[in-house]
Amino acid sequence: MANDVWALAEITGGKLTSISLQLASKAAELAGQLGGSSAAVAMGTSTAAAAADLGSCGVKTVYAADGAVYDEYLIQPHVETLAALVEQHQPAVILFGVTNYGRDVAARLAARLGLGLEYNVAEVTVEGGDLAMIVPAFGGAQSVKTAFTGGGTKLVGARPNAFPTNRVGGSAEVVNVPAASAPANGAKLSGPFGAEGAAEAGHLGKAPDGHDMWLPAATRAKLEEAQIIVSGGRGLGGPQGFEQIEALASALGAGVGASRAAVDAGWIPYAHQVGQTGKTVKPTVYIACGISGAVQHKAGMGSSALIIAINKDKDAPIFGFCDLGVVGDLNAIVPQLTEKVRQRKG
Amino acid sequence: MNIVVCMKETPSTTAEKRFTADMRLERRKEDAVINPFDEYTIEEGLRQQEKHGGEVIALCMGPATAAETIRKALAMGADRGVLVTDPALAGSDAISTARVLAAALKKLGFDLALFGSAAADAYGGVVPAAVAEFLGLPLLSFAAKLDIADGKARIERAAEIGYQVAEAATPALVSVVKSINEPRYPSMKGIMQSKKKPIDTFSLADIGLDAGQAGAAAARERAMSASPVATQRKGEIYNGNEGAADRIVAFLVEQKVL
Ligand SMILES: Cc1cc2nc3c(=O)[nH]c(=O)nc-3n(C[C@H](O)[C@H](O)[C@H](O)COP(=O)(O)OP(=O)(O)OC[C@H]3O[C@@H](n4cnc5c(N)ncnc54)[C@H](O)[C@@H]3O)c2cc1C
Ligand SMILES: Nc1ncnc2c1ncn2[C@@H]1O[C@H](COP(=O)(O)O)[C@@H](O)[C@H]1O
Repeated sequence: MANDVWALAEITGGKLTSISLQLASKAAELAGQLGGSSAAVAMGTSTAAAAADLGSCGVKTVYAADGAVYDEYLIQPHVETLAALVEQHQPAVILFGVTNYGRDVAARLAARLGLGLEYNVAEVTVEGGDLAMIVPAFGGAQSVKTAFTGGGTKLVGARPNAFPTNRVGGSAEVVNVPAASAPANGAKLSGPFGAEGAAEAGHLGKAPDGHDMWLPAATRAKLEEAQIIVSGGRGLGGPQGFEQIEALASALGAGVGASRAAVDAGWIPYAHQVGQTGKTVKPTVYIACGISGAVQHKAGMGSSALIIAINKDKDAPIFGFCDLGVVGDLNAIVPQLTEKVRQRKG
Repeated sequence: MNIVVCMKETPSTTAEKRFTADMRLERRKEDAVINPFDEYTIEEGLRQQEKHGGEVIALCMGPATAAETIRKALAMGADRGVLVTDPALAGSDAISTARVLAAALKKLGFDLALFGSAAADAYGGVVPAAVAEFLGLPLLSFAAKLDIADGKARIERAAEIGYQVAEAATPALVSVVKSINEPRYPSMKGIMQSKKKPIDTFSLADIGLDAGQAGAAAARERAMSASPVATQRKGEIYNGNEGAADRIVAFLVEQKVL
């Protein structure tokens, strides 16, 4: 309906991602402001569990399309299902996450149905009945207010962690929709999240350099979801430097981040990179060790609630935007810190 | 194998950024570079050509002056350039850009069309999937590795965690992430040769589109205003290794994190 707000949920290998809950929470809130209803669209496997989770964030309806086809093919089946739902119900807004999945689905949907699409949105509000979006620009130095022109469903792409998850309780009405059929000319997945060769649980396949990739251990939170992130840069001096970082992260139950310099040096995989060309994170605490604080790094972590920096150069740019800056040698401080955190946590 | 690499011209990352009066990113000719992510796109096109032969075309939609930026791709080794330029294109949004690129790709024909994972001006990363939709083709997105064999393109796709393997029949569209390769620097010889390589110019009419299908006229989003962001940080500085770990622990406790 004209004032409804939907959230595009994302299910990877049967698991609902955390951004889905953030989007659902926001959809419920916006629908209230627009005087419409809220819904989430969940496509994949294990959608029943996903629907329960999404419902607890306040959405009234969950359109659930359950089928292996969504795990077997990239994006196209998802777009088939979503496009049919949009044409049928014509929601005012669909919130999606600017993840690889969200961007691919939303871009195709916008192209197919001629919809407006805004991405990298940090906040969305209703002003005089219209949507107003805040989009950070120039590495976060400026904040741009944007609006849609013309009618039709509006696609709003939110940055991970832009919106909090609000478990308001409740359960959604689940509307099962038939799964899409396999695309005639599709991008077929195999290996880790695909149908065939799903190997062992937790095995993500081979990285480009040939080594096996595994799901991170439970003690190591996924980067975008981590409440605390310990991040390392060129100041670590080599790959073994990350052992200190991992130890501290493990003691804190934190995720491990990295600067591009550390990633480019091959000390840690790209998935850990934080910044303009890596991940955008917004943890409660970001601890930067041996990271100078280049504007491109700041673009990915500058909106963390608290920033702690350890750097031996008192003039490092990171001291210009941290809450606690320690001018000192990380090799001396990090192991001590790890020890003290372990002691406190018993 | 005919390979088209889609490359955008963007202001260099170090250039001072401003908005124009009508709230568009100011694009100064002297700051223009190949979108840093598209250096990987071009490099991958050249590497696939080394394996499979054929021609590499650098395709760019941009202002007339973007021909100079295309020239840099030709210096890296691309065989020829195609610039889609038209006064009516100014102010195009991502979906219109994709509509234009799709029309140009259709006109050129290709076995493999390559894209970057995002453009460094707005970090959209939405153009490749929209182009795929306009062409009705699969997109192998966010490739960290690409192999072409037996009429199929196979990639290792950088997922949020780890990798997925995906494949599609050619002609295929592939977007690449930067871990896929290490872009080359143009050689002196490459730079010399690039001066003689052709760059064709297409107008909107040349690719069968009319003015209402792109540019500001077709844009569905509008920037209203911009304001600088001020963040309040506590900015406490602690000097020296001695006692530093204790101070950090105390800070985490004060902030109720520990
Ligand atoms: C288009 C583009 C995109 C980019 N995207 C990203 C991105 O996504 N993420 C990103 O991080 N960067 C990105 N960069 C790179 C960015 O500009 C910086 O080069 C990079 O962030 C620097 O990493 P660093 O801080 O680890 O290294 P450096 O700048 O070299 O800093 C290392 C720091 O470690 C300190 N140090 C050294 N030894 C010690 C010690 N023993 N104890 C304590 N401190 C020590 C030094 O004082 C120094 O400040 C991008 C650049 C470009 C051009
Ligand atoms: N104007 C353009 N001309 C050519 N290619 C483009 C253009 N805009 C985007 N692209 C391609 O699409 C990719 C993603 O860009 P974007 O979606 O704008 O972030 C880029 O890396 C390019 O390969």
